[in-house]
Amino acid sequence: MTTETTTATPPVSALLAGKGRGIVDRFGDRALYVLTLAAALLSVAIVLGLAYKIVDEASSAFSTFGFGFLTSSDFDPVKGNFGAADFIYGTVVSSFGALLLATPISIAIALFLTELAPRSSRTAIGTLVELLAGIPSVILGLWGIIILGPFLNDHFEPILHAVLGWIPLFGGQYGLVGMFPAILILTIMTVPIVSSLTREIFATVPPTDKEGALALGATRWEMIKTVVLPYSRPGIVGAVILGLGRAVGEAIAVTQVIGNTAAIHSNIFLPADTLASKIANSYQGAATDLQISSLAYFAVILFVLSLIFNSVARLLVRSVESRSRSSG
Amino acid sequence: MESTRKPEHPLLAARSGNLRRRRAANRGMEISAWVAAVLAVGVLALVIASVAVKGIGSISLDFLTKNADPNALGSTGGIGNALVGTGILVGLATLMAVPVGILVAIYTNEFASARSRNTIRYFLDLLNGVPTIVTGIFIFGLLVAGHQQSGFAGSVALAVVMLPLVARSCQEVLALVPETTKEAGLALGASRWRTTVSVVVPTALSGMITGALLAVARALGETAPLLFVSSIFAPTLASDPSQPLPSVPVVIFQFSESPEPAKHDQAWAAALVLIAVVLLISIVARILSARMRRRLGAAR
Amino acid sequence: MISRKSILAVACCGVLAFGVAACGSSSDDSASGSSSSGGPLTGAGSTLLAPLMSKWQSDYSSRTGNTVTYGAIGSGGGIEQITAGTIDFGASDAPLTPDQQKAASDVLMVPWALSSTDPVYNVSGVDDGLHLDGATLAGIFLGDITTWNDPAIAKLNPGTDLPSTKITPVYRSDGSGDTYILTDYLSKVSSEWKSKVGVGTEVKFPTGVGGKGNDGVSAVLSKTDGAIAYVGAAYAQSNEFDQVAVENAAGNFEQPSLDTISAAAAAVKSVPSDNAASIVDPPKSATDAYPLASYTYALAPSNSDKADALQEFLTYAIGPGQSYGPDLLFAKLPSQILAADRATIKKIGG
Repeated sequence: MTTETTTATPPVSALLAGKGRGIVDRFGDRALYVLTLAAALLSVAIVLGLAYKIVDEASSAFSTFGFGFLTSSDFDPVKGNFGAADFIYGTVVSSFGALLLATPISIAIALFLTELAPRSSRTAIGTLVELLAGIPSVILGLWGIIILGPFLNDHFEPILHAVLGWIPLFGGQYGLVGMFPAILILTIMTVPIVSSLTREIFATVPPTDKEGALALGATRWEMIKTVVLPYSRPGIVGAVILGLGRAVGEAIAVTQVIGNTAAIHSNIFLPADTLASKIANSYQGAATDLQISSLAYFAVILFVLSLIFNSVARLLVRSVESRSRSSG
Repeated sequence: MESTRKPEHPLLAARSGNLRRRRAANRGMEISAWVAAVLAVGVLALVIASVAVKGIGSISLDFLTKNADPNALGSTGGIGNALVGTGILVGLATLMAVPVGILVAIYTNEFASARSRNTIRYFLDLLNGVPTIVTGIFIFGLLVAGHQQSGFAGSVALAVVMLPLVARSCQEVLALVPETTKEAGLALGASRWRTTVSVVVPTALSGMITGALLAVARALGETAPLLFVSSIFAPTLASDPSQPLPSVPVVIFQFSESPEPAKHDQAWAAALVLIAVVLLISIVARILSARMRRRLGAAR
Repeated sequence: MISRKSILAVACCGVLAFGVAACGSSSDDSASGSSSSGGPLTGAGSTLLAPLMSKWQSDYSSRTGNTVTYGAIGSGGGIEQITAGTIDFGASDAPLTPDQQKAASDVLMVPWALSSTDPVYNVSGVDDGLHLDGATLAGIFLGDITTWNDPAIAKLNPGTDLPSTKITPVYRSDGSGDTYILTDYLSKVSSEWKSKVGVGTEVKFPTGVGGKGNDGVSAVLSKTDGAIAYVGAAYAQSNEFDQVAVENAAGNFEQPSLDTISAAAAAVKSVPSDNAASIVDPPKSATDAYPLASYTYALAPSNSDKADALQEFLTYAIGPGQSYGPDLLFAKLPSQILAADRATIKKIGG
């Protein structure tokens, strides 16, 4: 920590106003400003450049198919017809399925860490849950292919099929790859994200409200139900949406276990495919320029989705944070 | 802390059966919360244990030094070239992303108006949310199409993934530096840039290192950004970033798709090495961050 | 704070030192092998070729000191990347379509390997060598034939006990030369296939599960009872899959072998001007021919700035490199192809 002293001791305001400073200082200030501004502009430029590039690449597919691309289920490289419907279906089902499982688990974990866990172990357990987010997706995919897939196929899916097979969701065939292992893997990926964010949201609930409810004789669960959850609801929704964004964008682990089959089935045990997974599979080997452009169209859809999720989630999470700040 | 006081409200006192039900509901919630936490930790333990058990058998000095050849049938030797490749790719990406991230954070904390701060934060959040496969397409179109794949392009792709992480954590840490520290530097006659460089940044340094470490841990495991940009590599040790460089996650990905048990064994062993490094870095980062927060909290 | 800074500094130095050391060690191999006029090459494409290419890579490197980098991203990838100019040579089991020729106007095709794609299956209770003909194969992949004990299959295999297991067709989800070979064959033997699905490196399969690369397909096949797939001959051999005996035009049921593949190649004596010789579904006269044999083509730009290296590598591949073929079920290139190849290789570099 260096300090710079001038020969006299000018008043602080003069210092701050820049009077009495040498050329080096003024140059340094300017340089810092320019450098940091450049960095900030670079970050913005990267996002804009990315958006421009993928929209540009998707333009020929867009001009050929228009918005009908989103509802067309035909992905035929031979005939040159491409449509995203099968993959949008796969993306929607896999990520919503994952969030359906992940949301209650994440809320429960967040409750556990904020209300129930012994104080001493809170950071340790919280860290362990967050470490789950640190597992590279390719390793989760490898685990899914070799361990989870066969386990589900041999032990879990037969039971589910026998008990709930009358529901079309679980009817019919099952195999080693499919939508179901993908949903489970995506759940594993999104739980740490949603739970850590939810935990932060729970921490903003005013303790006085909580203590008030307890003082009135509420059980802990009732306190949570009547104070914590309603207060946090927009924030939780925001956290879930962020988790959704993660699930929607995951390409590698999904492409390893989902079976790479473009199809719309009601049975979640059958193989399927998602937008991100198809890009990972086919982008490098696409047969025609139109196919490449169609895959770029997929990327645009994913980008728009992540834009929407991010913006909505931001609004929701910010609203909770500002509310807590204002209510003190 | 369960409420054990007998309710004095006559309504509640009259319905003792209801109290039992309420207590049962409370117990149910507690059990579910415990189950969820155990489940999460259990899955983590399960995955790490699987990787450890399946991978440990194939780890050897040979494995770490011989090179990977995804084209050969059967076992291929090792991941030596992938380890070197990952080191170079992530190293270059860190050199690109960390300085830019720190500079962005300095800008938003020192120079930006509230409006531009929010805008930049918004764009960084957007960048963070972009699926990494889309980043891969972007960098492919930008740096690879028309030229060759290259380790450099791979590093740029990884840097794009790392940047929002570094920038955001640096922003948070810089914001934590007390105003008084800054003002003290300025009052002593130091210029703005001097104060920032010699006072503010060093105070926040461990937080920035934490942010950088977490970003590095993330980049080490990324496959999708490299898939189109640095995935065609030779079965030799390569370190020239103008050529495509192999990387551990891409090698794991390629081996995982194979039917051969020999390649699976190698994939598990590579996964063990990768997960050990990633977890180690994450844990170190968190310890550093906790220590720093304690220090800064005390200073306030 | 000082200790943390110095840790960071030491770590940086360590990374740099490691990098410099690695740089130093890898720059050695470019110095040796001064007898070669070429240089390093990067290629990508066919997974069918990959096992043979792996042998070429190490042998060529020890002969000339030049490194050949090859990414098995599928024939579709080979075509796309050579058109985009990101690689020095491509490898594809599928010849360029007219549209692709237009987009990659200077790319020459050099057949440098001869093998086949094999329908393979994994059905418990059924041994190796199940008899199938073109119509039945088409029916299976179209989804018309759904169980292994279907009468169409039973008719071709009298005396074999066929289980009622459901048939799961497994296909390549990426741009694949094996897909091209299979669909080329099916289009020739089934008009329904030709109109419904067609030929290509990537087609819309009416039913089944996808796998990425020969590897991915083999993986799904080995784990799914009742599955039928198509993989390159080297993969079928090394994974010891049960192979279909496909009925050829002469009425014989053949499995892929060096003899049956060579017989298919011998049936097509003339070589088209662009070297794209299709040898699937050989005529009746080729009595022992395997119906799903095919050449793999090197895709080399005629105006490449690595013309010398390309010529050297291609000459090696069709020459000494061929000796590695038979073990991996790559048959010898017939003489008319070799002649055409040599002429084409001369054209590289203008």
